[in-house]
Amino acid sequence: MKKLLVILFLSMFVLSFAKTTLVFWTAPNPNQEAFWKKLVAEYEKQNPDIDIEWTTIPAAGSSEEAILSAIASGRTPDICTNIFSGFAAQLIELDQLVELNKLPGFNDLISVRKMENIIKGWEFMGKSYVLPIYSNPILMWWRKDILKEYGWEKPPRTYSEIYKLSKQFVVPKEKYTMRVVAGRNWWDRWFDYITYYYAASEGKPYIDLKKYKAVYNNDAGIKVAKFFETMFKNGWTAVDLGNAPLYNGVILASLKGPWEIPYAENQFPEVLKNIEITPPVVPDDYPEKNPIYTFADTKGLVIFKSSKHQKEAWDFVKWVFSNPEYDRLWLEMTKMPPARGDLLENKLFTEFFNNNPLAAEYAKYVAYAVPPALISKTVEVQDEMTYSLIEPLMYGKSDAESAIKESIKKINRIIW
Amino acid sequence: MVTKMRKREARKGLLISSTYLIYAAIFWGYPFVWLVILAFSRWRYVGRPQFAGFRNFLRIIYDPIFWKSFFNVLNFLVYYIPIVLIFSLLFALALSKLKYGKTFVALSFLVANISSGVAYSIMFSKLFAENGPLNQIIYKLFNTTIPWFTSPQLAMFSISLIVVWKFIGYYGLILYSGIISIPKSIYEAAELDGANKYVKFFKITLPLLNPSIIMVLVFAISLSFGIFTEPYMITGGGPMRSTLMPMMVMYTSAFQKLDPTYSATMSIFIAFFSFGIIWITRKLFEREVEIV
Repeated sequence: MKKLLVILFLSMFVLSFAKTTLVFWTAPNPNQEAFWKKLVAEYEKQNPDIDIEWTTIPAAGSSEEAILSAIASGRTPDICTNIFSGFAAQLIELDQLVELNKLPGFNDLISVRKMENIIKGWEFMGKSYVLPIYSNPILMWWRKDILKEYGWEKPPRTYSEIYKLSKQFVVPKEKYTMRVVAGRNWWDRWFDYITYYYAASEGKPYIDLKKYKAVYNNDAGIKVAKFFETMFKNGWTAVDLGNAPLYNGVILASLKGPWEIPYAENQFPEVLKNIEITPPVVPDDYPEKNPIYTFADTKGLVIFKSSKHQKEAWDFVKWVFSNPEYDRLWLEMTKMPPARGDLLENKLFTEFFNNNPLAAEYAKYVAYAVPPALISKTVEVQDEMTYSLIEPLMYGKSDAESAIKESIKKINRIIW
Repeated sequence: MVTKMRKREARKGLLISSTYLIYAAIFWGYPFVWLVILAFSRWRYVGRPQFAGFRNFLRIIYDPIFWKSFFNVLNFLVYYIPIVLIFSLLFALALSKLKYGKTFVALSFLVANISSGVAYSIMFSKLFAENGPLNQIIYKLFNTTIPWFTSPQLAMFSISLIVVWKFIGYYGLILYSGIISIPKSIYEAAELDGANKYVKFFKITLPLLNPSIIMVLVFAISLSFGIFTEPYMITGGGPMRSTLMPMMVMYTSAFQKLDPTYSATMSIFIAFFSFGIIWITRKLFEREVEIV
């Protein structure tokens, strides 16, 4: 009996000194990795009882696939970043996520970061399951050096101006005006049609979440489709533009996120000096005074319900996001605007933006950047958009109006 | 006494074969049972699968994407089978004529077969790109380019060319082993009867190669239904879903659309189709060959 008690006491003693291990997955992106590596080490130093097993989301076709495989095999992390809203909706449907707004200090954290408006865009049935960590407006990069050669002091703003420039610049099979279509993956629609649609429609939704219907068959949606059609029909853009076409001078413009800045700084520093950033091009009748909206590639952080250490996980999250110094560090390392409401007013960030004019352009548009539709069938919808809308315009298989009509019909069948 | 010996032999046999039986039970039996359960269920990775009857089977019947991918396989077969058969046969015939360096040549061709699908897919996508090196040469020579992967008509043909490149060495060796097993005496007898080389090829080599050709055909058909890496890496199933293959539909359904049960059902359909086509091929083309 005595022996048993001693063993019991010893094991309790050992257990009381055992560390709590948190499994933490972040986006596989070198700049984000550098940020998290630094912060995790700092947190572990300050909290010797916590051990954070930090890795990037395991290699797979996409982060979503890796996370799903982890759920299926019972290896879900405690905390995970890089969650987009549509995937969050799927995870909520699967009852996998912790309701963050029920955790102590959630409202304080939101208030400190002035995120009240931002968090509303991520709410599901009035509940918050995701903490948005950054919001990347998608903006247009221009080669101002080449534009000047063709007599353009300012980059084109409207579709007609693009057509005018195309007639001056394009050499078939050699040079094209701009990249219009980003690719054929489902997520590429965020970086072409949806971005242009938000720009043309002043940020109107493309899916009506109340009626569960696709609604881009309006004036703005048709104008964007006609723009795509015109560009492909005339050979002013192409399906395949080769490697790094903007940097190699094959095209003059392309939509890009702020993650492109550190990449270009490393790979094409000379070209970067000649880059000018503007909002996406808009239809000719778009009022010049009105701000131009764009798509927000926004990602958040979640805590999984399967976590045995939800309190510790939340403590870590609070520690990271309640200190604005870390937001500045994030900005410096990734150039992505952190999800904060005071990005342009907070003096802590002013110096950074003064020294980084390209990143400052992105910060300016955070307020006009609209997240994707909060639907759980994002993949199906955007895959259908590729097939029924984008590709028919790319290959001249359909005109803009018919392609819009057809894609609306098919998408409604998916989401209804 | 005899019974005892038989029992002992039976035990030994069972012991020896147990490795395979255990292997088959884990890696074939268990997934197979799980597949059947999934096909009749509704499950999204979490919780227990719910019985769904024939819901998944009915969904497939009305799913245009699945049928598109199925017809894409047939399209692929139309390009792939004749090209791979002709080139493998040419390779095997050339190899049989070689006097020196046979092993080197055979191994050189096999390198393609053992190369990483991802690596060579990236290589080919760069090589065949709209402004890639191949098109640049064509443009300089003929003032035009070929949309290898960007034309809905050409994309499947281009992918089949890459798969042909990968399998020429492998199928060629199967055909080569068939060629060298044909006794020389048959050719000598034919020569005495005045047969020229075309007659010898069409009347002796080709008929006697039938088992090897059928084997290659069976391999090629099953490969066509399981093709994934090349279209996934190069075209992503496009343009216009012209290179979308069943494996890709299953993969996206399971891992992007959170619908593993539907994927499981699709895999059953595809298995039946591939077995069906193999069965028809064998019925139509397989001949009994006896070399005396």
